[in-house]
Amino acid sequence: MNLPGTDLLLPDSAAPADILDAFGARLSLRESAPTQRDRRFYDTFDGLLRAAGLSFVHESGRSALVWIDGGAERAATATPDAPDRVLAAELEPGALRDVLAATIEVRALLPLVRIHSAQRVFGVLDAAEKTVVRLALAESAVVASPNRRLALVPRLRLLPVRGYDGELARVRATLIEDLGLRAAERSELDEAVLATGANPGGVSAKVDVALAPDERADVAVASILKRLATVMEASLPGTIADIDPEFLHDYRVAVRRSRAVMRELKRVFPPEQLARFRIELRWLQQITGRTRDLDVYVLDFDELRSGLGEPARSDLEPLLRVLRDRRTVARRDMVWALRSDRAQELRVQWPAFLRELVTLSAEDRPAATRPIGELSGERIVKVYRRMIKMGTAIDESTPAESLHELRKQGKELRYLLELFGVPLHSGDVVKPLVRALKLLQDTLGCHQDREVQIAALRSLRDDVATLPGGPGALMAMGVLIEHLGEDEGAARAEFAERFAVFASKSQRALVRDTFSP
Amino acid sequence: MSRVLATYNIKGGVGKTSAAVNLAYLAARGGASTLLWDLDPQAASTYLFRVRPKVRGGVRKLVRRKSDVEKLIKGTDYERLDLLPADFSYRHMDLALDAAKHSTDRLARVLEPLRGEYDYIFLDCPPSISLVSENVFEAADALLVPIIPATLSSRTFEQLEELVRGGPQVLAFFSMVEVRKSLHREVMAKLRATHVTMLGAAIPSADEVERMGVERAVVAEIAPGSRAAMAYEALWWDVRRRLAAAQPSSAS
Repeated sequence: MNLPGTDLLLPDSAAPADILDAFGARLSLRESAPTQRDRRFYDTFDGLLRAAGLSFVHESGRSALVWIDGGAERAATATPDAPDRVLAAELEPGALRDVLAATIEVRALLPLVRIHSAQRVFGVLDAAEKTVVRLALAESAVVASPNRRLALVPRLRLLPVRGYDGELARVRATLIEDLGLRAAERSELDEAVLATGANPGGVSAKVDVALAPDERADVAVASILKRLATVMEASLPGTIADIDPEFLHDYRVAVRRSRAVMRELKRVFPPEQLARFRIELRWLQQITGRTRDLDVYVLDFDELRSGLGEPARSDLEPLLRVLRDRRTVARRDMVWALRSDRAQELRVQWPAFLRELVTLSAEDRPAATRPIGELSGERIVKVYRRMIKMGTAIDESTPAESLHELRKQGKELRYLLELFGVPLHSGDVVKPLVRALKLLQDTLGCHQDREVQIAALRSLRDDVATLPGGPGALMAMGVLIEHLGEDEGAARAEFAERFAVFASKSQRALVRDTFSP
Repeated sequence: MSRVLATYNIKGGVGKTSAAVNLAYLAARGGASTLLWDLDPQAASTYLFRVRPKVRGGVRKLVRRKSDVEKLIKGTDYERLDLLPADFSYRHMDLALDAAKHSTDRLARVLEPLRGEYDYIFLDCPPSISLVSENVFEAADALLVPIIPATLSSRTFEQLEELVRGGPQVLAFFSMVEVRKSLHREVMAKLRATHVTMLGAAIPSADEVERMGVERAVVAEIAPGSRAAMAYEALWWDVRRRLAAAQPSSAS
């Protein structure tokens, strides 16, 4: 087990034994029995644990969540074998599951790196031969494969003994000033991940592309779409392997954002290729849609059910079985389509097209050479105004379809703001607008989700009815549909208030002043 | 929330400090974050851990919670095992408690901020029946009571049970046992038959235990695998089993 401490690196030229000799000559040391450690570290694909300052480690039949800075344990549980994948929902109830669920939600922890260390621990003694500081010297290597080890720079960890802060500072000073050790800039885990050639922070699905307002529109659009294509490519293996539902979610968000860019900035692309790739990306959206819907139903099942009292709550179990069965079928179809020739060709041709876009003639793409700031600003103003017009026309008698249309426009605006608004304009201006839009979208989303859920539940009636416990489940579904209907009504009632904020005078002025040319 | 375990006996010289130090060590070695509070002004366990018997501000400030107890704690030679040292002013602890409001739960209040941090808190108590012991009964989840198998030990046990009735769990065990003495064997057999709550593990009278004071280390370090070391391990198993068994009723 680690204790809180500070890591120091040994000088490159010095052997650990020489350093210890030199240190032993200055202070009194007592060594405890040396240990061999074999630790396997885990994190989500996008490095959520590291971002929260934590790491998940399996060692000697125990899994623990450990603070990266200092090494103190946050929570732990006994797990005899090193897992291939960890989902918070699959852990035994307890502190580890709670902390993990709050940090990584539905994401899976995957093996990140395995570190083998030979560790020697020394107590630094005072005049009464009392331990006042502990030193742990670790000579470690990353186990890259059974036959390949990558040695890391030996580390000396200072482990404080409570109540002896002055001694700790003195020992640290001796190590640094007299013996040439230096404070480690990175954690041991980061060093190990870097040694394998991977990125310690994981693989992000964020777009984060730097843009300049006077940049050519096609250059800016190509950089953003190339980044989105990279996100799609990175999310694909996890989507196919069904590691966790976020892979598919990230994949679909990247496809949807790419489609929004093509739709909103049409005149940057040659019409023929634009038409072709719009069809292809729409197809990707379609083949993945059913699985994502079912992912959401399964993920939300507990929450949906929690609104019901007993016995309706337990009666719903057959519904979960039907949802899971349908998800299995939908996934099989999706994976088949994602592995098809059509999808494989698209994986090559789409990035190739993006690479050559800026070199194509600008004759049939009149917006290609316009400054991106001006062009995207026009689109943002246009979509915003369209939303104001559509929203203003909505009252209590408006059919649900109009709210769905408004939500679609909202998504379009959100992507424009995130992809172009944020990098090109001051965050102080764009962020309040994004916030107001997000609140409006949440209301519209809740309204539509509930309606879709009601329709989906109704469509599952026959499948559920034939299962053991089917009639009870049907009764419970009836109650659920009623609750969902109430939520839908509440979302609709909330709409007017949220739309008023989004369409307020100050927001309109802000949009005009910021984005109009 | 930590479990508070107090080694207690009205008599002195029965093996309270040895039990507190060795059991606290075993708890920490097993992975539990552990604190030992040396309440005895003689400071035997403080001496064993090579810590200076000094508490800044003395007992008056401590029991009135005018001192930051977290800053008074010292780490020991053993990982995860910390010590709240004794202080010579503890000889007046009774007076300090008496002078404070809520005089019987002052020690429990001092421990309050530490209960989230430690899995086990051991109290090494001075031998007495006093306001200090009343405070200990209030703060502790269980009393670990070493009993030397002698003619009056049955009486000691009964007195104690009477004293703490309705308070902490009483886990008594035989200490300083000399199996060659027929008197010890007889008393042990009799007491175990009449007091079923007696723990099974018994600590022998052994050189290793006496050498603790000379070598200033726990038995498991001085003589690992010795009879005394094994006896403390057995005792720690026994204690934990009893604590676990008592948990549902104490929770209700």
